Amino acid sequence: MEDFFTNNSVCVSVEAPAENLVQEIAYDGQEVFQLPLTLSENLTKQAHKIDWIKREDDDNDDDTHSATVTTEKKVEEDSKKADFQTSSWPWDSVRNKLRSALTEVCVLADVLVIAKDKRYMVLDPVQQEQPDQRQLAQLFSKKRGLTAAANILLHGAERLKISQSDTARAKSNQDFHLELLRLRQSWTLKKIGNSILGDLSYKSAGSRFYQTGIFEVTKSEDPDQELSLETTSENQSKQSMIKVTIPPELGGTAYIQVTIQKDQDILCTTNVNLLHTSLIHSDPSRDANPWTSKLEAAQNVLFCKELFSQLAREAVQLQAAIPHMVVGNQITASLFPGIQLSIHFQSSYSAGVDKRQLVSNNSTSLVAKVDHNYILEHSLHQLLRQVHLNNVGQPVPHPSSAPLGPTKRRRLAGPHAYDRDELLLMTKNESILEQIIRQGQHVVLRLRTMFVIDSIAREIRDPLIISHWNVLNSPTLSCVKIIIMTHGYDTLQRTALVVHVGEKTLKCVCRDGRVLQMSYEPQELRDLILCQISQHQINAVQSLARFLGWHVASSSAHLGLGPVEPLGNASSCILSSPSGNRILSVRCGPQAAQPQVYLSTYPRHDTEKNKVLTDIRWEQLNTRYEEVRLEKIEGRNFLSRMELLMASLTCRLPMNWE
Amino acid sequence: MGVIVLQLFAVPEGKSGPQVIDILTKRVTSLGGVLSGSFMVDCETYTSVASLGATRSVHLLHNSETPASVFALLEAASGNKTVALVADNLFDLLMLKLSNFYQAKKQTKIESRGPRFEAGDFLVKLGSVTMGPTFKGILVEVEYQACSLPAACWDLIREFMQGFLGGCVPSTPPQYIQNRFGDMLGPIDGINQYLEQFNAFRKTTGIR
Repeated sequence: MEDFFTNNSVCVSVEAPAENLVQEIAYDGQEVFQLPLTLSENLTKQAHKIDWIKREDDDNDDDTHSATVTTEKKVEEDSKKADFQTSSWPWDSVRNKLRSALTEVCVLADVLVIAKDKRYMVLDPVQQEQPDQRQLAQLFSKKRGLTAAANILLHGAERLKISQSDTARAKSNQDFHLELLRLRQSWTLKKIGNSILGDLSYKSAGSRFYQTGIFEVTKSEDPDQELSLETTSENQSKQSMIKVTIPPELGGTAYIQVTIQKDQDILCTTNVNLLHTSLIHSDPSRDANPWTSKLEAAQNVLFCKELFSQLAREAVQLQAAIPHMVVGNQITASLFPGIQLSIHFQSSYSAGVDKRQLVSNNSTSLVAKVDHNYILEHSLHQLLRQVHLNNVGQPVPHPSSAPLGPTKRRRLAGPHAYDRDELLLMTKNESILEQIIRQGQHVVLRLRTMFVIDSIAREIRDPLIISHWNVLNSPTLSCVKIIIMTHGYDTLQRTALVVHVGEKTLKCVCRDGRVLQMSYEPQELRDLILCQISQHQINAVQSLARFLGWHVASSSAHLGLGPVEPLGNASSCILSSPSGNRILSVRCGPQAAQPQVYLSTYPRHDTEKNKVLTDIRWEQLNTRYEEVRLEKIEGRNFLSRMELLMASLTCRLPMNWE
Repeated sequence: MGVIVLQLFAVPEGKSGPQVIDILTKRVTSLGGVLSGSFMVDCETYTSVASLGATRSVHLLHNSETPASVFALLEAASGNKTVALVADNLFDLLMLKLSNFYQAKKQTKIESRGPRFEAGDFLVKLGSVTMGPTFKGILVEVEYQACSLPAACWDLIREFMQGFLGGCVPSTPPQYIQNRFGDMLGPIDGINQYLEQFNAFRKTTGIR
């Protein structure tokens, strides 16, 4: 080894074997030897002997040996090459190979030295565990893949099983597609990708509300849940195959409560809701399809939200004398001084109240409260639908190149040469809130009028007061006919007056054709009716007198005599008996409970005969008027008493008076 | 739509148009008239091009009282008859498209504008007529809105007009109204009277 490094060169010994190979053995035993190989032939032959298949690492026990093998290999390659290409010098490639082999061996030697010295480098055995680890990981991944595949298969099998059990049940028309078809008949559905989406908003009806009402239709696939549902609700024997998913903001229930209140007393209330109780019970299809109620509830929430937002927007925009207030879920508008209309949006979702609790609250409060005003509810529905209709119903432009938008009336305005006022009228557009306020005012005024008439009819028994409300009326105008008459004498005298109840004013048409405009204060109507009653009494007495043959000496509807009435004027009449010796004076004031009757007779029986005026005609002067105490006279009412009085005064002869 | 009577009010010597308007305004307000904005009636005349044969003219009138309408009065080839067309505002644009057939006469745009008063059922408009920049005269329009029949309300209108215009109002109605004394009148009749007056203004030079 030492020589190796010192010489820095390698001695390669190339020698031929000692004896030649036997080529042929003759029959006589003589051996014919081959000719000895030349040097190059020998080397070539040797090179051929090397087994090149033998791996290098199989016998790497000795580095030097391997090095030599490599060298030999290279040499062989060279020789092979040399076979193919003729070089100028046959050993040239061998030499080159040898040289490169030498280089490699030198490097190897250097490495060995360095390793041996352990000064620069330490050789450690290399871990040989890797192939084993890879196998383990493979095992794991294979196992995992198999599990996943098994899962998919199991899942599919389960679904198959479920669908098979479904089809077993689907014998009782529980088909998903059938139900989908039924759903499609009443709701808008469309297929987007793999999902079926429906729309429950009022967009197709002209709504421009920002919130979308999109719901998703899926096949309900959870039999356990269905079973549990089945057990909870016995009345629903069949389970729907359709599962409807609505957006969370449309869940729960909602309604709009409209209340008219004076301070704390509620005068009138209404709940606006699409889900009317009578509807729910009457509709048989509702029981068949459980999704119907769910979708309708969601639609109801959407409707209420839209209505409320529209009202709130208008309340903010409107310029009222007393500004409308919008606070949270409540709109407050004042109808009359002290009377307020409040519109409240109630939602179980927003308040977080349990649905059932809300409904029960609602029903109990409704019972406790005043009667539900259906007209107001109907109006709210109608008005919102009208807005929708206006949005949708754009008239076709005429001619087709004309701008889109103007109504037919506006279009005709030009050719018909409408003037400014007509055009201005056309542009006027009343908002929902304004109309509701007007209707609310009418409701209040009508309630007040009713109350006034009823209370007067209750207080005053003598002339009967009959009120007849027209059945057909508009939301802002109703009409009542008031008939004042006396029981038993209704053919004799009837005083009728008609009161038109508007929004802020009352119009009263009296029997004589007078038209009186009154404000919303109930006292005014009350005063008018009281005046009419007093006049009725006087008129009735006059007709009764004529009927009995008495003469009406004078009558006055507005008497200037006597104590001053706090309002209106007293009316009176003077009646004289057929013979003229009895004179009755009747006075009736609006505030008096009963008419006052005074009687005067002649001849004067209280004084002695006048000595100066002896003429008989002076005896015909009447005495002073004395009040008749009507309540002592038999009779059911004023007129029957008067009849009795007049009859008794007629039948007596003046001579027999004393 | 009521009866419209258009009356020329001669400008007295030594007075200007605005002065006369001021005087009339005072008189109308003392009669109970309430100022309610202003009004304007304008007239533009288009003549047909030579290729269409005999020259005919179309008068295009706008009235602020009927802001959605355009009145087009086509003079008939023979006589004084005119064919009236009432259309909406798009007619103006149509007229632009017809510029190959009907061309606007230069410097003939004439208009009457001024204050507008309401006095009960009466509508009084005091218009000063200008053609281009020049002042031509004063036209007073009185409309009685409660009636469309001149026979029924002429006397009332006459009395009212004499109340603030004085003796210039004749006791017989204007010729145009007299021809239709028993007919119902409409907005087009007011426009026809304006056209008559405008044509008279165009023919005269100076102030009427």
